[in-house]
Amino acid sequence: MLNIVLVCSAGMSTSLLVSKMNKVAKEKGLDVNVIAIAEADVKNNMDKVDVMLLGPQVRYLLPKMREMMEVKGVPVDIVDTVSYGTMDGEKVLEQALSMVKDK
Amino acid sequence: MGRIDEVLELLTQLEKEKQEGVSAADIAFILGIDRSNVSRYLNILYKKGKVEKVNGRPVLYKSIKGYISSVCDEEDPYIGFNNSLDKLVGARQSLAIPIQKAKAAILYPPKGLHTLLLGETGVGKSMFAKLMYQFAIESKVVVENAPFIRFNCADYVDNPNLLTAQIFGVKKGAYTGADRDRDGLLKKADKGFIFLDEIHRLPPQGQEMLFTYIDNGFFRPLGDAENLIRVDVRIIAATTEDPKSHLLKTFTRRIPMIITLPPIRDRSLSERYSLIETFIREESHRLGMSIYINKNSIISYLLYDCPNNIGQLKSDIQLACAKAFLRYKSEQDDYLVINQGDLPNHVRKGILNINQYRKEIEELLNSTYDVFKFDQHERPPLSLKEDENISGDFYTAIEERLESLKEAGMDEQAINEIMNIDIESHFRKYIGHIYRRFDRRGISNVVNEDILQVAEEILLLAQKHLGKEFDEKIYFGLSFHLERSIERIRRGEKIYNPKLNFIRINYEEEFLFAVKIAKLLDNKFNIETPVDEIGYLAMFFTTDSNNKFIERKPKVGVIVAMHGRSTASSMVEVANSLIGVEHAVALDMPLSMKPKNMYELTKNKVLEIDEGKGVIMMVDMGSLTNFGDMIWEETGIEVRTIEKVSTPMVIEVLRKVILGYELDEVVNSFVGKVSIKDEVSKPMRDENVIITACFTGDGASKKLESIIRSNLDGENLEIVPINIIDEERLEKRIDRLANKYNVMAIVATVDIDIDYIPFVTAMDILQGDGIEKLKKIIEQENIYSKIGESLQEHITNLDGKEITRDIKYLIRSIEKGLGLEVVSDAKIGIVLHIAFLIDNLLNGVLPRRFDNLEAYSNLYAKEMGIIRRCILLMEKKYGISVEDDELAYILKLFLLNQKLV
Repeated sequence: MLNIVLVCSAGMSTSLLVSKMNKVAKEKGLDVNVIAIAEADVKNNMDKVDVMLLGPQVRYLLPKMREMMEVKGVPVDIVDTVSYGTMDGEKVLEQALSMVKDK
Repeated sequence: MGRIDEVLELLTQLEKEKQEGVSAADIAFILGIDRSNVSRYLNILYKKGKVEKVNGRPVLYKSIKGYISSVCDEEDPYIGFNNSLDKLVGARQSLAIPIQKAKAAILYPPKGLHTLLLGETGVGKSMFAKLMYQFAIESKVVVENAPFIRFNCADYVDNPNLLTAQIFGVKKGAYTGADRDRDGLLKKADKGFIFLDEIHRLPPQGQEMLFTYIDNGFFRPLGDAENLIRVDVRIIAATTEDPKSHLLKTFTRRIPMIITLPPIRDRSLSERYSLIETFIREESHRLGMSIYINKNSIISYLLYDCPNNIGQLKSDIQLACAKAFLRYKSEQDDYLVINQGDLPNHVRKGILNINQYRKEIEELLNSTYDVFKFDQHERPPLSLKEDENISGDFYTAIEERLESLKEAGMDEQAINEIMNIDIESHFRKYIGHIYRRFDRRGISNVVNEDILQVAEEILLLAQKHLGKEFDEKIYFGLSFHLERSIERIRRGEKIYNPKLNFIRINYEEEFLFAVKIAKLLDNKFNIETPVDEIGYLAMFFTTDSNNKFIERKPKVGVIVAMHGRSTASSMVEVANSLIGVEHAVALDMPLSMKPKNMYELTKNKVLEIDEGKGVIMMVDMGSLTNFGDMIWEETGIEVRTIEKVSTPMVIEVLRKVILGYELDEVVNSFVGKVSIKDEVSKPMRDENVIITACFTGDGASKKLESIIRSNLDGENLEIVPINIIDEERLEKRIDRLANKYNVMAIVATVDIDIDYIPFVTAMDILQGDGIEKLKKIIEQENIYSKIGESLQEHITNLDGKEITRDIKYLIRSIEKGLGLEVVSDAKIGIVLHIAFLIDNLLNGVLPRRFDNLEAYSNLYAKEMGIIRRCILLMEKKYGISVEDDELAYILKLFLLNQKLV
């Protein structure tokens, strides 16, 4: 099971994207679980994370998150703006998977 | 008999000979008074429906039959104050209700109502009963020499049989000592009145007999089983008992009219003054000489504790007069002067209460005199008499007064002195300065217990709902008011409130609350409170209503200008009358009128009505839509235009204006709504537009157009060259374009500062990276439009494209406001964030709390304010309310994503 975490500012904008990603993963038969959390809740959700993606509006968190997560071997990046803006579940899922592969 | 009655009586006499009618001059000549005064009286009579007018020159008057008999029972402020009851001290003040009830008891068809008078010792029950009798004679309910039998039940308290026999008569042998048949007082009082004082002393047997008479109109003398005696007697009973006492309940249940006379402590100081004055004058008359009294003594009489009421006041005054008279005689003084030493001890103490009442006393005795003179010659008692003319013509009253003083042969100085007091007192009554002072116990004598309870309940509710404190004055006022209004409503009399609409608009909250209260009253008293009365109720809840009603703040002007002969006029008429003001101004523009003339007309109107707050022009179409901006430029007066106006819009705008909204508040709230409608009705276009602007719209802007076109070939966009200088403001024209198209950028030869649209200078296009900037803008625009399309699929509440564009504009204006630029990638995230925020709000999803919101908003107070202002338009347009937590999230996104310059 691969745990993908999407971070945005107040959990407002990512939930739709998350559900789309989960749907795509299911269709493809991938053992993936995507969740969305708000910036403030990251601290409490650090255990079950394999990949972390940041919404473009919280891109300022990148250095901090990288520092925090990469020691655990968790890759962190920003969601591709266009994929994010168009809420393209498939593309974002691809991005997440590629981050794991690259590792 | 008052002047007005004289006039009428003379009129009826004269018209016997002059069938065609009588003129004011005829009457004035005979009465020897001024014709204009006679005219005034005739007009009053005319308004009262007592005379009719025959139009012509001069106007002739005829009486309308049936007046004479009804003159006395008129409850009219102008006339009918010549009856005995209305002459009582306090007739228009604390005795107003008792007198009103007394008149009703006398006049109630067919034979009046039996009456129970309640009140403490010495409040004047006997006198009141006698005056009711007088009133009955005056109103021709009983004949001139009808009997008035007074009987004090306490007189025979040791012998109940005898007492009962006195009233009802007795048959020989009914009890020991009844040695012959004897008629009772009740029979002697036939066709008149019997006044039964201390009625609570009547033994049970007598009570039964009395009630039999009250219920059936007949009675049997004591010990007589055969003879039924039928009489036509009106009973006035009186008692000092507490109305709640067990004993009295049997009476209050059986006697239909209950009148409570207030104790002296519950009467106003001005009333008390009138009483004092009356009594001193009576003494003066009795002694045959003027009486002087120093001011401090008057104050003592006004303020001492007087538990036995008017009766005691009178005897305390008589006592002082007697003492002063003695001194005058023994010391052979020139004047009879009452000073502090003549006052009984307990009266003298009155002056110690001065601090509590200083202000009222000063208003009441506002004169430089230290000694007051009460003159025996003046009859009926002078000055400060009851508010005879309170609603009549003040100056007529003064004139007449002067006349009568001269007739009495007084010298000029005395007249001046008296007139001084007179005018003063009249004005005081006009201004209505003096509040009645009631304590809780006192007021319960005047107002019904259940009304007092309701009043208290209402004020408690009001405190809770309106968050205001109400003092006792309001409590008393409301109680009095309710007592009277409920009675009025029950009688089916009309209630008219000329201030109704004003109150409804200016005290909306209070009015809405009053509506609730009216429901409560309706249920409780089984009445239907009319809306005018609700207006009055509302006034009680606006504590400082007195001042606010007069004050007028400058307001935004409203002009409605429409094509057509009367379109504007009729709209304005409806709006003004609904709101209850004369504020909106109509300008009709008949089709034949030239725009140029209309423009001048409009401009002058704007100049005329502007109060420094600007003017809103509400127009239909065509050239009228441009007038506002042209006038603004020409006159410097801020004019905003609202187009395609309908009557409801005029009402809404007028309402806001009257409420004191500022120009922009009114217009913005409006434009938001309108634009929603517009956009629903005409589908939005997707065309991307770049505006190029120069002064003329011809040279540079055309040139820019071609440069941009050739560089951005293949992009999906339109380029629109416009002129900067035009009758219509540039911002407005850009707004309009932005409403129709997706305006991506403005390129212009001068700086153009439109919050929500990126600006590129012409210089950059010609020599620098302008084209690059445009390309980036277009690139971003393309992402925006993708977001829009995507949102379109995912959000149900909103039009994805529209919201995307609105948010794009919002982001631009926030950037402008905060003076920063956000990196473009982050913007996409922000767009989604805000779009979902609005969607969530519309779905009723609660916002997420922002950690340490207070500290954060303190730290960034100014920035939070900017966000709030920028988001206002969205709130209005989408009907949402964005909380501080959400504002803080938004602010944080901007602050942390700003481009580092």
